[in-house]
Amino acid sequence: MLHVQNLTASIGGTPILNGLDLEVGPGEVHAMMGPNGSGKSTFAHALAGRDGYEIGGTATLDGADLLTMEPEARAAAGVFIGFQYPVEIPGVNNMYFLRTALNSVRRARGETEIGARDFLAVAHEAMELVEMNKDFLNRPVNAGFSGGEKKRNEILQMAVLEPRLAILDETDSGLDIDALQIIASGVNALRGPERSVIMITHYQRLLDYIRPDFVHVLVDGRIVESGDHTLALHLEDHGYADFVNHDLDDTPALPLAGAAT
Amino acid sequence: MTTTTTPATNPTVSEADDIDLLGGLDYPTRRDEAWRYAPHDTLKRLSFGRPARPTGALPRTLEGRIPALDGPRIVIVNGAVDPDRSQLGNPAAGVHLSTLAGAGSEHPELLAAHLDQGTDDGDAFLALNIAYGNAGAAIHVASGQAVNVPIHVVHIALPDETQNVSCSGVAIRLDDGASATVVETSLGDGHHGGTNTRTTITLGEGATLDHIVVQDVESTQVHLGRISVTQGSRSAFRSHLFNLGGTYGRVVYDVRLAGDEARADLSGLYFGQGRQTLDQQITVTHAAPDCTSRQRFRGVLDDQSTGVFNGGIDVRPGADGTDAQQSNDNLLLSDRAEANTQPRLEILADDVTCKHGATVGQLDDNALYYLRTRGIDESDARRILIHGFADEAIEAVDNEVLRAWITERLGHADA
Repeated sequence: MLHVQNLTASIGGTPILNGLDLEVGPGEVHAMMGPNGSGKSTFAHALAGRDGYEIGGTATLDGADLLTMEPEARAAAGVFIGFQYPVEIPGVNNMYFLRTALNSVRRARGETEIGARDFLAVAHEAMELVEMNKDFLNRPVNAGFSGGEKKRNEILQMAVLEPRLAILDETDSGLDIDALQIIASGVNALRGPERSVIMITHYQRLLDYIRPDFVHVLVDGRIVESGDHTLALHLEDHGYADFVNHDLDDTPALPLAGAAT
Repeated sequence: MTTTTTPATNPTVSEADDIDLLGGLDYPTRRDEAWRYAPHDTLKRLSFGRPARPTGALPRTLEGRIPALDGPRIVIVNGAVDPDRSQLGNPAAGVHLSTLAGAGSEHPELLAAHLDQGTDDGDAFLALNIAYGNAGAAIHVASGQAVNVPIHVVHIALPDETQNVSCSGVAIRLDDGASATVVETSLGDGHHGGTNTRTTITLGEGATLDHIVVQDVESTQVHLGRISVTQGSRSAFRSHLFNLGGTYGRVVYDVRLAGDEARADLSGLYFGQGRQTLDQQITVTHAAPDCTSRQRFRGVLDDQSTGVFNGGIDVRPGADGTDAQQSNDNLLLSDRAEANTQPRLEILADDVTCKHGATVGQLDDNALYYLRTRGIDESDARRILIHGFADEAIEAVDNEVLRAWITERLGHADA
């Protein structure tokens, strides 16, 4: 499925990812943990295709070279990114946005477009998954949404777009426990043998609800440790200090300047 | 096409200084703040004259572009009412709807007010409109009557050799407690000339007028529009401007809140492409206590187009309790597009709330990226964001046909 080899990313000459390797098989859930500024979000956006990075190395999904594609082509290839800070788009209706997105992806995959009525059924099913009210479809995209609503809207989009690989960037940040449970049960319902998930998170808390197959620790743009879910429990008790110290020789235990993207 | 004009009585603007019609009003220059961004060379080439009555059909493309609204309409072609394309008929009891000339016998005060209103600070084009714009529409709604269908006035410019600007006028009077919706559409065809329209509006106590202007003359033409409004106590004027067409599209609003607790909501959208200049000159005068006014104008400017928003709030002595707000937001789609925004506030009363704000920005890169990560390609993503920016102005229009027409015109019909 996803093969990432020696991935590097820098902004304006400042390195953020320093040779990241990751293999994600079909149906696997990987948790990516690490301190602030370790490059977690950059990793997500490097795979999704954000502009402004100097990128090196390779990343392929089902054999397709992601790094040369535009963001929309990556979406068509099956990449979905759940934003840590979903963007507010006033004036654009959520339903219109969702249907345009789905049909863009379907067109790019050579499938037929879906009509308004059929789409409504798809949307309603997805909304049930994240316990959204119907009026939600008629509101502008994320504008005036609470933090929890924005995150639920991300999972709703994931459910509608049915990606091969979902990269969820701090989907748990800013959520109360009820919202966290809704999000987690939504993600769990979307798990399947053909769909892989990379969850980026600071906290073990999310992993109580979504049990990962693998946990990775990212420090200064590299994976410094990998293990099963017990690694997350270890991090919960001991923090990142072990990894920061033993792996980086003389480098200070602070994140690199400007790396907090 | 035939014309009833004769060259001898057909002055052009370049001769304007010599003719009595202008009554001492000078042709504007770039030194006039209100005309700073106007294409003066183009304006100097315009010519004016008495109405030339067209014969035969309108160009088919033009005929098809007239928004198909339910309700009566008056079509003015080259400054003369075209009876074949107009559907007069009175839409409701207590409503007088006629050509401007036809108002003379039944409602002479309408015509008199039209000729007089808002002429204090006019310019040469106003004088020319008064001289030649005697064709048009007269609308009077009697006290307490409500007109439930929009009344549509269509101004069309089909220039010929002798004079190429179509002058026309609309006089609207709503008596106490009356309500109506009036839509004015300006269209044109041909490579020069344009429309010079003047609308005078008088609202009685508690009257409500929805007034929608769709300016979409040919991209080589000019539109010079002027709307003068006098509002009585507790009246409401809700206007929506869509300033879209012409190499130069200019719309002047001069709104006078003359009675207590009157309210004026002016919204507008200008959408420039190519080398268009779209110019809105707004003045709202608070001349009575406790009135409310809102000016909300948005511009989308692409290519080498220029947008102008010159918005005035003038609070006269004694207009205490005024609540006035103004906003102008611009979206630049090109490095060579230009937005010029100029608030003018004069406050001569007490207990006044007056706010204004202006923004000039570009498409949000984060929003573009967000849409693209959902599989939406770049050009669609841009279109969606532009529509989102313009949407507030479009959604504020109640009439579905008109809303669809505007959406289609802006090139995102599927949204």
